[in-house]
Amino acid sequence: MRMAGLIELRNVYKIYAEGLESEVRALDGVSVTIDRGEFVAVVGQSGSGKSTMMNVLGCLDIPTYGDYILNGTDVRELTDQELSRIRNKEIGFIFQQYNLIQNLSVLENVELPLIYQGIDPIDRREMAMDALDRVGLAERYRHKPTQMSGGQQQRVAIARAIATHPPIIMADEPTGALDSRTGLEVLGFLQQLNREGSTIILITHDNGIAATARRIIRLADGRIIEDRVQEVDWL
Amino acid sequence: MNLVQAFKMAWKSIWGKKGRSILTILSIFIGIAAVMTIVSVMEGMKAYTREQNAAMGSNKINIYIYSNVWDEHGNNLGKDYFPDLYNYCNSLSEYIDGVTPVGWLDATVSYGTKTSANMSYQWDEEGNLIGDRPPTLHYGSDQYSNCNNLSIVKGRDLAWLDMENYNQVCVLGAQAAKVFFGSADPVGKVMQVNGYNFEVVGVYGSRLTDENANQSQIDNLIVFPYTTRRILGGQLPTEYQVTVKDSEMITEMISRIGGFLKGLIDRNQGGFDVSSNNQWQEYENEQMTVIGLVLGGIAAISLLVGGIGIMNIMLVTVTERTREIGIRRAIGAQRSSIVAQFLVEAGMLCGIGGVVGVAVGTAGSIILGKAMFQMTIYPPLWVTVAALSLSVALGILFGVYPAIKASRLQPVEALRAE
Repeated sequence: MRMAGLIELRNVYKIYAEGLESEVRALDGVSVTIDRGEFVAVVGQSGSGKSTMMNVLGCLDIPTYGDYILNGTDVRELTDQELSRIRNKEIGFIFQQYNLIQNLSVLENVELPLIYQGIDPIDRREMAMDALDRVGLAERYRHKPTQMSGGQQQRVAIARAIATHPPIIMADEPTGALDSRTGLEVLGFLQQLNREGSTIILITHDNGIAATARRIIRLADGRIIEDRVQEVDWL
Repeated sequence: MNLVQAFKMAWKSIWGKKGRSILTILSIFIGIAAVMTIVSVMEGMKAYTREQNAAMGSNKINIYIYSNVWDEHGNNLGKDYFPDLYNYCNSLSEYIDGVTPVGWLDATVSYGTKTSANMSYQWDEEGNLIGDRPPTLHYGSDQYSNCNNLSIVKGRDLAWLDMENYNQVCVLGAQAAKVFFGSADPVGKVMQVNGYNFEVVGVYGSRLTDENANQSQIDNLIVFPYTTRRILGGQLPTEYQVTVKDSEMITEMISRIGGFLKGLIDRNQGGFDVSSNNQWQEYENEQMTVIGLVLGGIAAISLLVGGIGIMNIMLVTVTERTREIGIRRAIGAQRSSIVAQFLVEAGMLCGIGGVVGVAVGTAGSIILGKAMFQMTIYPPLWVTVAALSLSVALGILFGVYPAIKASRLQPVEALRAE
């Protein structure tokens, strides 16, 4: 008997250019439930719909049809302001290209989600420094992202994602731009966060990376073709 | 997100693109500096003409009364309207300082061996007068002194009885007294005017001040009762001058005197005209306003162009920073935060342009004021405040569209941007 999930997609479609010849069904009737504390890898070839799925799950995009229930709330009924608040407080994003703001320092980048929460400067700085400390970059807080290696930049991005202590972390090909050693390091952080109770959703095309997840959801042509749970050694 | 954060972000972004920011600021500051300089120079010009007019007597009303009744020899048979005008003006003494006929007399004045007929004078290289200059001879009433800023220092002034009795008396200006009598007391002495005896009854004090120290001619005058025309020759007076206590009352006094003269003068026998320098001043002010509007219009166009430049730059900025906007939206920035960020940035750019513009405009006003009017013109406070507010308002106005455009970007698409 399963409890209502943290994340629930019910028969979700994302259709571009609907009704035209060029119609693309990026998500073609996806239903899935993800519970609190899971570590899920969403795998698929490029064009399989996995990025669209992450955008929908991350409240960056709204499904064309179907419902997305996040924490008991139907996302389709939320205003832009409420969606912003969810992205800010409930979800931490980690992107393949790090997506740091280049003219801000490391500390300022990590502080950004806290600024949008309206946290006062002193607390904000402390929370951001804590997050940087967790990824081992506290002493480099004054650097600009361009002065750092890719692995370090991704660790800054992780610090930014966890600075607000969100229950969900979404990582879109977080190791895609890194060499295998720093990639493993990043995976290690995600596993650590999962052990501490965060729900992790990892989007990847790499079966090797996916193999480290406890649950694998495989997408092809916008449909789920495999959804299985496996034993992992890092727990 | 609060405004302090928006300001910090805006400053970071402006500072991060120094070269472009300076060029953008330039486009605003030129407009603001031009507007400021124009407005304050116009204000200075107005003050300057006001001053000039006050010196020329903006509290003066000029009256012209003519008669068109002539005898067969061509002599004007018009009556002397002055006593009636005099009485009427005296009944308005609450508002009017004095009234006098205005007229000059061409005559030879002499005392002892000194005679205006053979005086010679010249100026040395420094502009000092050498020799004696003949005095100007004025007809006037007993209120001539009131109307011309003169006051008696020796003897007595002319009196109304001098007019009524055609008394052969005169009052000397300070310089005229010096020319004919040197340091001796002229009061009681008898001068010859075209051969007629005239007794000097008084001497006026000097009107010279530090500013007009070399214009001694303004004190070189002799005033005769206007009725002595009967002896010395000349037609009846046709021009009169009224001095009003408060220049604000000029218009009111013009209409009252006009009403009085209308009832006094038979239209079949003559006519009149009442006017003042103030009307010229009003006309000049009007002209100045038109010039100001034209120049201000040009400056406003340059501001408009600057504003469009701001909009253009902000649109480029938004496009360049699409990805940044996407990142900010993904980590929780609301649309209003994005709008605030870009609005504040545009407002700040223009605000800096405004501050620089006010500084340059102030300098421009001072320099132009010195060059054009030998005056130090500081821009009025309202101009400074208006210029600053205008520049910020301009930034916000032209920043609205780019800011809203930025906030409308879909997070997913913005994140995909390169």
